[in-house]
Amino acid sequence: MQNSASAQQIEQDVLAAMSRPSRCYLACILLAGLLFLGGMALWGRQIALGMGVAGISHPVGWGVYITDFVFWVGIAHSGTLISAVLYIFRARFRTSFNRAAEAMTLFALMVAGLFPLIHLGRVWLAYFLFPYPNQRQLWVNFRSPLVWDVFAVSTYMLVSLVFFYIGLLPDLAIVARRRPGPVGKIYRLLTLGWVGSSQQWRHYAKLYFLLAAFATPLVASVHSIVSWDFAVSIVPGWHTTIFAPYFVAGAILSGTAMVITLVIPMRRLLRLEAYIPVTHIEAIAKILLLTSLIVSFAYIVEQGLAFYSGNLFEMEQFRFRALGDYRLLFWIMISCNSLLPMTLFVGRLRRNLAYLFVLSLLVNVGMWLERFVIVVTSLARDFDPYAWGNYTPSLTEIGITAGSFGLFFLLFLLFIKVLPVLSITELKER
Amino acid sequence: MDRRQFLQMLGLVSGAAALSSCGSDKGQKELVSLLVPTEDGIVPGTEAWRPSTCCECPAHCGLLTRIRENRPVKLEGNPRHPVNRGGLCLRGQASLWRLYHPQRLQSPLKRQADGRLQTIPWSQALAEIAEALQHSRRQSRQNAWLAGRTSGTLNALLEEFCSSLGIERLAEFEPFSHAALRQSYGLLFDRADLPRYRGDQADLLITVGADLLETFLSPVDYTTQASALAADQKRHWLHLEPHYSLTGANADDRLVLTPGSEGSLLLWLLQSLASQRRYRGRWPQALQDLLPASDLAATAAATGLRSQQLQQLASRFARAEKPLLIVGGVATGHRNGQPVALLGALLQWLTALPWGGMDFSAGENYSRVGSLLDLEELSQRLAADRIGVLFVSRCDPVRHSPAALGLQGTLAKARLRVGLADLADDTTDQMDLILPLAHGLETWGDTEPRRGVIGLLQPLRTPQQQALSEGDLLLKLLRQATGKSPAADWETYLQRNWQNRFSRVQLGQLMDDGYLTEPQPQLSIRLDLARAAKALQGLHLQAPLTLPAAVIAPSIRSFDGRSRSLELLSEIPDPLTTISYGSWVAIAPQTAARLRLQDGDELQMKTAAWQSKQPVRIQPGQAAKVLTLPMDSLPAPATGIDPLTGEALRYCEALHLKPTGKRHRLPILAGSPSQQGRGLIPTPVHRQQKHDQQNHGPRASFYPEPHYENYRWAMAIDLQRCIGCSACVAACYVENNVPVVGAADHLAGREMSWLRIEPFYDEQGRVDFLPMLCQHCNYAPCEAVCPVYAAYHNPEGLNVQVYNRCVGTRYCSNNCPYKVRRFNWWQHKRTPPLDLLRNPDLPLRSKGMMEKCTFCLQRIRIAKDRAKDQKRLVQDGEATPACAQSCPAGAIAFGNLLDKESGIYRLVHSQRAYRVLAELGTEPAVHYLRPE
Amino acid sequence: MARQLIFDDQQTFLQQLEQLLADGIAGEHLEVRTPYHLSEVEALLGQQPSKLPFFALGGALAGFGGGFLLAALTSLDWPIITGGKPIVAVPPFLLIGYLMTILIGSLASFGGFLLLARLPRIDALVEEQDFDAHFIITIADEVAPCTTPS
Repeated sequence: MQNSASAQQIEQDVLAAMSRPSRCYLACILLAGLLFLGGMALWGRQIALGMGVAGISHPVGWGVYITDFVFWVGIAHSGTLISAVLYIFRARFRTSFNRAAEAMTLFALMVAGLFPLIHLGRVWLAYFLFPYPNQRQLWVNFRSPLVWDVFAVSTYMLVSLVFFYIGLLPDLAIVARRRPGPVGKIYRLLTLGWVGSSQQWRHYAKLYFLLAAFATPLVASVHSIVSWDFAVSIVPGWHTTIFAPYFVAGAILSGTAMVITLVIPMRRLLRLEAYIPVTHIEAIAKILLLTSLIVSFAYIVEQGLAFYSGNLFEMEQFRFRALGDYRLLFWIMISCNSLLPMTLFVGRLRRNLAYLFVLSLLVNVGMWLERFVIVVTSLARDFDPYAWGNYTPSLTEIGITAGSFGLFFLLFLLFIKVLPVLSITELKER
Repeated sequence: MDRRQFLQMLGLVSGAAALSSCGSDKGQKELVSLLVPTEDGIVPGTEAWRPSTCCECPAHCGLLTRIRENRPVKLEGNPRHPVNRGGLCLRGQASLWRLYHPQRLQSPLKRQADGRLQTIPWSQALAEIAEALQHSRRQSRQNAWLAGRTSGTLNALLEEFCSSLGIERLAEFEPFSHAALRQSYGLLFDRADLPRYRGDQADLLITVGADLLETFLSPVDYTTQASALAADQKRHWLHLEPHYSLTGANADDRLVLTPGSEGSLLLWLLQSLASQRRYRGRWPQALQDLLPASDLAATAAATGLRSQQLQQLASRFARAEKPLLIVGGVATGHRNGQPVALLGALLQWLTALPWGGMDFSAGENYSRVGSLLDLEELSQRLAADRIGVLFVSRCDPVRHSPAALGLQGTLAKARLRVGLADLADDTTDQMDLILPLAHGLETWGDTEPRRGVIGLLQPLRTPQQQALSEGDLLLKLLRQATGKSPAADWETYLQRNWQNRFSRVQLGQLMDDGYLTEPQPQLSIRLDLARAAKALQGLHLQAPLTLPAAVIAPSIRSFDGRSRSLELLSEIPDPLTTISYGSWVAIAPQTAARLRLQDGDELQMKTAAWQSKQPVRIQPGQAAKVLTLPMDSLPAPATGIDPLTGEALRYCEALHLKPTGKRHRLPILAGSPSQQGRGLIPTPVHRQQKHDQQNHGPRASFYPEPHYENYRWAMAIDLQRCIGCSACVAACYVENNVPVVGAADHLAGREMSWLRIEPFYDEQGRVDFLPMLCQHCNYAPCEAVCPVYAAYHNPEGLNVQVYNRCVGTRYCSNNCPYKVRRFNWWQHKRTPPLDLLRNPDLPLRSKGMMEKCTFCLQRIRIAKDRAKDQKRLVQDGEATPACAQSCPAGAIAFGNLLDKESGIYRLVHSQRAYRVLAELGTEPAVHYLRPE
Repeated sequence: MARQLIFDDQQTFLQQLEQLLADGIAGEHLEVRTPYHLSEVEALLGQQPSKLPFFALGGALAGFGGGFLLAALTSLDWPIITGGKPIVAVPPFLLIGYLMTILIGSLASFGGFLLLARLPRIDALVEEQDFDAHFIITIADEVAPCTTPS
């Protein structure tokens, strides 16, 4: 009976998070909601007046919006990494995070998907970007990286959604059982009539494995394709072959940092210490360290390639990054992404949750800046020196970015009240 | 009734219903004018070309005006006109902005006691003037008429008007009066006139201060001459100046001398030339004795040039077969102005006159123009309360007279001040009555800018509101004051005058071609020794100016400031500094380093009597301790009067320079003054590299070779000829409805120009100009990245942008190595009536779209349609983009590369041809011919 | 009336299941519900491996072909040259094919799962059960209604 008791305990502990919201929680929801609404209002103003309200200009046609897009897509990655790749590699610590990480993936993708729209000059024609039969007999240009993006992000979104939902299915049944009344009915409906029969489990296990198998290459490919938005161009600083692995490593770095940022407070507030042991967080920290090293290697390779190539345009570009007008951002980026994570070689720091939390925040900042530096400095100093020019984000761009964080946290906060934040079924299985 | 018939009926009925229900009253008027062709044979939807004359500056270039839907939409130089031969400068292009200027004066205005202006009817204005004229006659005050330069029949009418009303016609006022030159020619040759200098025939051109390319006499004419000269390796052009001007930038050699030392230089040159065997016989010893002594060392010290440079200059001068020296501009605008002009004229007599380098028979028509001395006299008479009614027409003496003259104060003494103008200026601000004048494209008229060249003005648009042509105004006033007038209206007067003067054939020619040339008698110019001796007796060279000194330099964008209010000209950056809006002072890099100044830092310049604060712009190649102050930067660009010549002094010396610590945001459009060694304009080093590349054989490519059927449009730009004057830029703005966005967007890096002039300076401060526009690449990086096919390659090689398809990702712009794509950051609107200035052949772009140069697709389309009607292909020269058409230097050629006979084919395969950033493999269709 | 055996403990449940099968009750007459996936149950009941991979394979192949053909055929439908690249540019079109492989593969697997697992099940939507907290064995009526134990 001990087994059963602990199963009961797991259910209770995990579902305790879904109890009546505290005042603090409501305040957080309100704050996130207001940020989101503010961002939407600014976007509305931008649509009405024109892209001029943003700071982007000639030659820097992409700025904070694309930075945000790449940042959020990057955040999305570790969710899939933890739930799919670690599933295939049967890493046991995955259970502590996979639900939260998958939710994070989904929400980050939802936020990321907004930015290509926000940055469009004529967003009301965004449907032009999808191939659909029309009277003009005009399709989309499949040679354009932006169309690859449309496909990659939509695919990633749908696959993640299915994966998330499938993972959630048995847990929904548990919630439905424990929640009486109409709310429980809704959860029951969402289970589609899941009964946990051996027939269903048989196919379920296969499906979960197949989805993990399908999602695994996406971890590498989606951010590769995002990186090709840049690498396929001819802009010095963008046009490099190392961009795909460099971006994937960066994405996982920023994603793991975001997982740590979200999980450490969540574990504390929802009292899930028993289910998310420090050793598991340490394992995530090790992934962070590894990807940080890969990213640092990419930084070195990038600079090395530029100066070894003897290409005037590349050399000026990388000189400008390190010593030009945006040098402060560059060096903050190096500190946050390369230098500080090295402290994780020290085991004690790896297990110090407060330290990890602060570090993860800094890595988030560093990774956002990395995308900003790549996007902006490359455009600011390209081929024709007459057309050089700098870029300063406008309040609209900053407000919309804040709004995107508002949306992300709003969704995440709703998630922890609406769905079980840990996979109860998998915890029981363990 | 069968189905077919039914549908036809349905179509007819619904079409008629839709047409009849179209729009408001305003819209209906428009609709009618489109449906009913006017008597001029103007057919809606098709263009018509009418000849006319540009009145934006005194050069009066010949125009062809493009009319669409009853309004002028584009000006082009008349290819056969003797003054400009097809070219048109940026001011000429922009003069349409004057025609449609939102602030055009629309009706007579009267100043109230509280200083505000009130609209009054013409009848009242004329009655008040007539009464005031009579009143001042009774009080035995003189009535006076002050005008800008006037020529042609208007001159005759004005003469008639003034004599019959007893109005004194004052010497005409022009800020660039060239008084010193006219005075010296008067003193030496008894011919106080301005000749046409024949730089086109000279083998050595030495210009001292004369800004041939910007404002000197007839800039388009001299641009054509000078750029041809600069492009010819066998001929040489040398420019001497203290500051840095566009003219200096384009000369083969530019020598920088101390401001005010031109006299010493010319004196030494004269003496060393007179001692040459070739000229010795011609040079009268009598004059030699009158000249002050001069030697090489002293001249070198005074001018700041090295002795070696001076000797080289002299020997080159002596060797030249057809040398031509032109002095003027800033060289005569200081206290040594008279000696400079006199010595210059003597040198011209010695060297240029014998081979016909100066054509006095085709003299520029400046004989009626006075100088600031005349204005000084007027001011004194005003102060003495001797002037009753003062008319000021088409000039701005208040702005252009030095503060010391006190004209603004003395003007108040006149009993009635009447201003005639099309736009308000400093002078109209002092007037009691302001009468609106019609634009040159709204009225009949003729001009005679150069003796023997008569240009036609004809109304191509109904005048704005109540504006009148000056001729009509004079006739009305005459009728009001005397009860009778020589003609019912100006057109009748003009017709009668023409019929008297010209034969029928000539008149037909004038109407058809827009101009007429009358043969002029050859003049023999002789040096009058006695007069010359008298003039030289008093010749005294004063010391050069004390440094640091500022040169107040004229601007190619606003002439003497008269075109300042045309916003298009502020939108186009100054070619040397690339500053668009606002004022500045250009300083040398050394000076900036010494004073720790950066671009935009404010600098205070102070003398005892004068001071100014301006943001600085660091100008490579500028001499240390010499500052260039654009005329437009100052409220009063003349600092004093030269008592000897009446020229405006345009220098400030012994300046006290002090940074104020304030910083302005200057719209500097260039991201870098240097090309950073990138070979956009190849230096010898790059040429070597290119040669190496060629030895590696053709570029390997994964992509299929482009294939074109009948046309592959291409452009060649000769950098040797390009002078950076930006006429092409202005032409492009007007032709393609390019939005003018203003200073705030320029500061944000959002200018919309499809074509820009990029100045690149080398270490020595020499500059080359690179016109940059869409390169229409074979392998265009912008096209492949567009997700929606808005940018694609058309079968004639053009890189086209489908505005309606564009969703605004801006990826194409990011991926364009030439950065020539422009994004519509806002919904750009033009203030009425500027919205009428619109080429209906191409759409206006709305917010969120990308746009760029199309090689003037609409013009190619017109040429192709014409060729199709005649069942043939477009021939060489039939399709010309606006930029190529406007270029006074003839630097831009356009055509079909598949036509092996075409001019473009020859240019593209010339030795000098190269492509910018060719190493990227984009294979542009714009080929540049590198400067040697 | 079907008989339900309910267990709290995984061990007892598996033993009982083994016992039942050893007693000669055929696997198809037993319905087993567990809170989580137990591969032992599958082995005991002798179930065939899931056919889901065929759905995945079919979806993946259709996705790849469809993606590539979508790109290629629409490009050929109105051949527009951009950047001088070939009309059918194989590398980027393969990319579209690859992405569609994953998308259609996943969706087909999901669809196949719904089909094979007979979801959605309307009857189960209303029935209240503790299957996710306990191990349940339901023995169909026709098989010995009086079989024992507990």
